[in-house]
Amino acid sequence: MARYECDVLIVGGGITAAMVSEKLSELRPAWKIIVVEAGRRLFDFDKRFDYRQRNLDYGENQWPGDFVADQGGRGIISRSMAVGGSALHFGGVCNRFSEEDTRLRSLYGLAADWPIEWKDLEAHYCEAEKRIGVSGEPGPLKEDSRSQPYPMPPMTMTYNLIQLKSWAEKSGIPFWTTPQAKNTVDGYGGRSKCHRCNTCEVCPTGARYSPDWTYKQLLAKKKIELHDGTLVRKLVLDEHTPRVVAAQAVKEDGSDPNVEYRAKTFVVASGYCWSSHLLLLSANARFPNGLANTSDHVGRYMTGHLAHETRIDLDLKIYPGMNEQHSLISRQFFRCAPDKPFVRHDLRVWEAPSGGPRLRDANGTLLLGDDLIADWRTRIVRGSARVRGYFDVHPGKDSRLTLDPASKNKWGDPLPIIEHRIDAATEARQAATLQHFQDLFAQLAKANDGKVGRTSSLGYQDHPSGGCRMGSDPSTSVVNSVGRTHDHENLFVVGSPTQPTGGCTNATLTFVALALRSTSEIAKG
Amino acid sequence: MNRRDVLKSLAAAAALPALTASDLVAQTTDFTPAQIATLRALAEVVLPSSLGAGGRDDAVRRFVTWVRGYKPGADRGHGYGNSQLSAPTGPSPAARYPAQFDALDAAAKTRGGATFAALTLVARRAVVEAAMNDPQRVTQMPARPNGANLVADFMGLYFNGADARDVAYNAAIGRDTCRGVDDSDKAPRPLKAH
Repeated sequence: MARYECDVLIVGGGITAAMVSEKLSELRPAWKIIVVEAGRRLFDFDKRFDYRQRNLDYGENQWPGDFVADQGGRGIISRSMAVGGSALHFGGVCNRFSEEDTRLRSLYGLAADWPIEWKDLEAHYCEAEKRIGVSGEPGPLKEDSRSQPYPMPPMTMTYNLIQLKSWAEKSGIPFWTTPQAKNTVDGYGGRSKCHRCNTCEVCPTGARYSPDWTYKQLLAKKKIELHDGTLVRKLVLDEHTPRVVAAQAVKEDGSDPNVEYRAKTFVVASGYCWSSHLLLLSANARFPNGLANTSDHVGRYMTGHLAHETRIDLDLKIYPGMNEQHSLISRQFFRCAPDKPFVRHDLRVWEAPSGGPRLRDANGTLLLGDDLIADWRTRIVRGSARVRGYFDVHPGKDSRLTLDPASKNKWGDPLPIIEHRIDAATEARQAATLQHFQDLFAQLAKANDGKVGRTSSLGYQDHPSGGCRMGSDPSTSVVNSVGRTHDHENLFVVGSPTQPTGGCTNATLTFVALALRSTSEIAKG
Repeated sequence: MNRRDVLKSLAAAAALPALTASDLVAQTTDFTPAQIATLRALAEVVLPSSLGAGGRDDAVRRFVTWVRGYKPGADRGHGYGNSQLSAPTGPSPAARYPAQFDALDAAAKTRGGATFAALTLVARRAVVEAAMNDPQRVTQMPARPNGANLVADFMGLYFNGADARDVAYNAAIGRDTCRGVDDSDKAPRPLKAH
C-alpha cells in the first residue's frame, strides 16, 4: 500500500497534463508535482523508425501498447491511454478557434457563451504555440489577427499544395497552409526539423510534437514525478468540508491495489471522457451524483464537430504522397453574419490520389504488368483534391457520458457510455448545412474544370470535448472560467472537458490554451 | 535527437543492399530456392517491364522479407475515432503458399513445362490468368498479403507500395521515404530509365 504526498496531483498524462505540469513547475519550482497516468510511458524514441516501418508494412500499432485493455467503453472514446495520450497520435494540426466560438449565445442566440474574453484566450494560444512549437503563416483575414508571430516559419508548401492553392483561390476563397506542431527549424524544443516522412501519426524524427518530449525533459530536470501504469479510481473528500483530500488508485499490473495520493490541489486532466468518468465514479454520501456535480452537469454537453467531405477531380497534375498530412485551410467561413442562416466551418484541401492500381478494368479484364500500369495512368491524368469542412454543431443537455453498470473493468468500476446528441437548433439546420457544403464544393470545382464526387459525412463528432463545461453560473456548469470546480475549491478540471462547445476546427491547441490558462490559477494555491 | 542522429537513422532505415540471387535464397527460411525461382518468374509476368531484372528482384525480396517478418497476433492498435481495439494480426499467410506454388507447377506441367519458372513468358501468363480465375475469380489485390491467392498477394504488395506509385506517375515521389522538405516545392523528378 503506497502513500504519496504532493502539492499538486495531476490525474492523466496527456498533452494538457504535460503543459500544466511544465508551466506549474516553472511558476512553482518548489512544489512537488505528481502526474498519474493509467497507461504506460512509451519513451522508446529510438525504436520509432521500426514502429513506423512495421505500421507501414503490416498495419501494426505505431505506438505499441498505448492502451489499457479493459479501459474502454461505448461511444466515441479514444483508446489511447499512455503517457502522451491521444496527442501521441495527433497529426500536429494546431488551428485556433475564433472569437465567434466564444460568443455563440450573444451573437447568434445559440448554445452558450464561453466565460472567457477572446483577448485572454488569444494570449494563451500564443503561449500554447510556443510550448508545443508551432510552425505557421498568419492568415490574410483581419479577424484572425495575432498578438505574436508563430514561433517557427511555415512548413514549405509542396508542389502539390502550390498547385491546389492556385486552383482553390480561383473560386474567390482565400487559402493558406495549416499551422502545425512540426519543427521547420532544427532544434526547437530539442527536436529535429521535419524530414517529410509522411507518417505524422508516428513521427520517427521527433519533428512533430508529442507530449513524451515534455515529460522526458521534466523528468530529466526532476521537476515532476510521473507514476505511469497507475489508475486513479476515486477522489475522496475531507470528512467535514468539500475539499478533496485524496485520490485512490491501483497499479494496473496488480502489484498494488491500494495506492493513495494526498495533495493540496487536485487537477483532473484526463480528457473529455475519463475526466467526467472519474468525477462520476467518485460519488459519495454527500455528493451522490458524483463530485463537482451539484448542478447535474458532469458528463453533459458532450460535444465535438461534424464534417462533410468530397473529392474534386481537377485539371491539374498532382503527385500524391508528397506530404499527405499537410493541407490548405480557409477560415473565411468561421464567421457567419448574424442575420444569415447559421453555418460555421473550416475548409481544408489536401492532395489526394485520383486513382489507384486495380486488378481488373471496367470490363473485368485481368490487368497484369504494363497493362496494369497503363490502365492506372489513364486514371491519373487529372489530379484530385480532398476537400473537407468541420462544421459547428452544438450539444444538447442530454449529449451525455454516463456509467454503464453492465460493463466494468477488472477493478469493478463501471465503464463509460457516451451518447452524442446535437441540440434541436443544430438538427433543424442540418439539411441547409449540407446544401451549403454542396454549393461550396461546386463553386470550388467550377473554378478549374473540376468534377465533384459524392459528398460523404463524418459519422461521429471529431475532436470530442465537453462533459465538465465551464461557465459563470454554477447551476449550469461544472467549472468556472479557469477550470476550478464550483463545488470543490481545490479541485480543477482542465482542457477539453471544459469546453462548452466544440468549435469547427481541430481542437488540440484550444485544449492546451485553456489548460495553460487554468495553470496560472492553480499556481496561486 | 539532433540532426546528425536523425540523418544516421534515416540512412540506416533506407539502406537496401544490392541483391544477388544467392543472397535472396540465403535470407529466406520460409521459401525454397524453387519457390524463389517461381516468384522471380511470376514477377516477370505481373510487374511492369520498366523495372528490369534488378527491380523485379527487389520486388521479390520485399515479398519474401515481408512474409518472413510477419508476426501473428501483433498489436494493431485502435483506429482513429474507434472505441474498439483492432483485432490482432491473424496467422501468417505463409502456410497457405506452398500448395499454391505446387499448383502453379502442376499447371505448368499441363502446358509441357517442368515447372512454372521453366515456361515461356506467354505460357506463364496463361497460368497466372487461370490462377486468378480458378478456383475463385480474384477481383482485387489485397491491401496486404493474406494468403488467399499467392499471385494477388505478390501483386498487391508491389502495386500498393510507394515504388509502384512512382512508376505510375513516372516521378520520384518517395511516399514512404523521409525526404526532407527543402525541395518539396518542386515537382518530383522523373524516374531514371532502367
